[in-house]
Amino acid sequence: MRRCLLNPIFSVAAVALLCAALTPADSAQEYQAGNAAASKLPPNPKPMPRTAGGKPDLSGTWQAGGVSIFGEPGAPPLHPLPPAPARPPARQPIPYQDWADAKRKTFTVLDDPTSKCFLPGVPRIVGMPMPMEIVQTSGEVVILYESFRAWRRIPLNAKLEHPNDLTPTWMGDSVGRWQGDTLVVDVTGFNDKTWLGGMGTIHSEKLHVVERYKPLNYDSILYEATVEDPGALTKPWVTGSVLRRPIDVRVEEYECIENNPDNEHIQKAMELEKQKAGK
Amino acid sequence: MRFRFPAAGFVLALGLVAAAPVWAHHSFAAEYDSKELITLKGVITKVEWTNPHIYIYIDVKDANGEVTNWALEGYPPNTLKRTGMSRADLKTGDEITITAYKAKDGTNTGAGREITFTDGTKKFAGPIGQ
Repeated sequence: MRRCLLNPIFSVAAVALLCAALTPADSAQEYQAGNAAASKLPPNPKPMPRTAGGKPDLSGTWQAGGVSIFGEPGAPPLHPLPPAPARPPARQPIPYQDWADAKRKTFTVLDDPTSKCFLPGVPRIVGMPMPMEIVQTSGEVVILYESFRAWRRIPLNAKLEHPNDLTPTWMGDSVGRWQGDTLVVDVTGFNDKTWLGGMGTIHSEKLHVVERYKPLNYDSILYEATVEDPGALTKPWVTGSVLRRPIDVRVEEYECIENNPDNEHIQKAMELEKQKAGK
Repeated sequence: MRFRFPAAGFVLALGLVAAAPVWAHHSFAAEYDSKELITLKGVITKVEWTNPHIYIYIDVKDANGEVTNWALEGYPPNTLKRTGMSRADLKTGDEITITAYKAKDGTNTGAGREITFTDGTKKFAGPIGQ
């Protein structure tokens, strides 16, 4: 993959096609299509705005992925974005302890908490293909997510101190501070009911996430999350994405529970498959 | 800022590692067969412009004149709005042709992919099969 990314002899299209063959179809095709149009543009030279206090002003709408910003295969998005000037950390497998690795293999897609419209937790919510809005003041940062109607309050304090009366929650408790131009957010106080990302990616209540929001230019933030969980992982796991500032998009309502028969259909499909297999 | 802007091909490939699920809340592959893309032509009987996904119901007439109602799932309303389809594009009584990945549960359900309207306009209703 890395060679694929860096080999200069490939044309833009060839690089995209080759990489598409090596990566999950959805993201590859989305990006390939979206950036076929966007690649004609240079990365945005405009820097991230600053607040009166001199901090980067991350206020605005952001999104990590999805067809609305990357476009469909063969069809660019309505509002193509200039390419991002950096890439997120390479994807690594989650380093599970043996018990957690064994347990996570017992799950099916029906167990995914988000399939029942529960809150996705952190960092999973950041990768959802829907926008989020960052509202920034000198004392706190608030993130309003379209997906699952989630929100996070991130009070800023230099010592990253959490309240001492936390009970486990889906989205955890967030506190933040500025480290140079990077917003560092410390998240703890999670329940053990969310998944970190893909199928069966469980964790314990000892989950601790450190997020870094590093401004790259006007329309890009490098997002990195270091995930520690001495209850389920053998070592920290790093994940991330590049948040883009979508054009002409605002956070709107998403009432997930409104009409959600998918698990019912999946259950039936699984039963049919079992019958066919003679089980 | 310390980083340098990389070359175009490199930039193009960046998003490949920034995977985000096409459907935010459930598995596509567990519900639909990405190898069975069917084309249906029918009349819209109902539209559920709902979250987490829309449903378009169409009556499809076969060669013998028998009518079957199909339910076709699509993107969430906000995604459709952002990719160029509005609720007003789907009117009860209008005829559409739609490609769809057939559901694995044996019912007349599918994951809608691309709609062709009677004037020839095409719009995506849902994601490519995974």
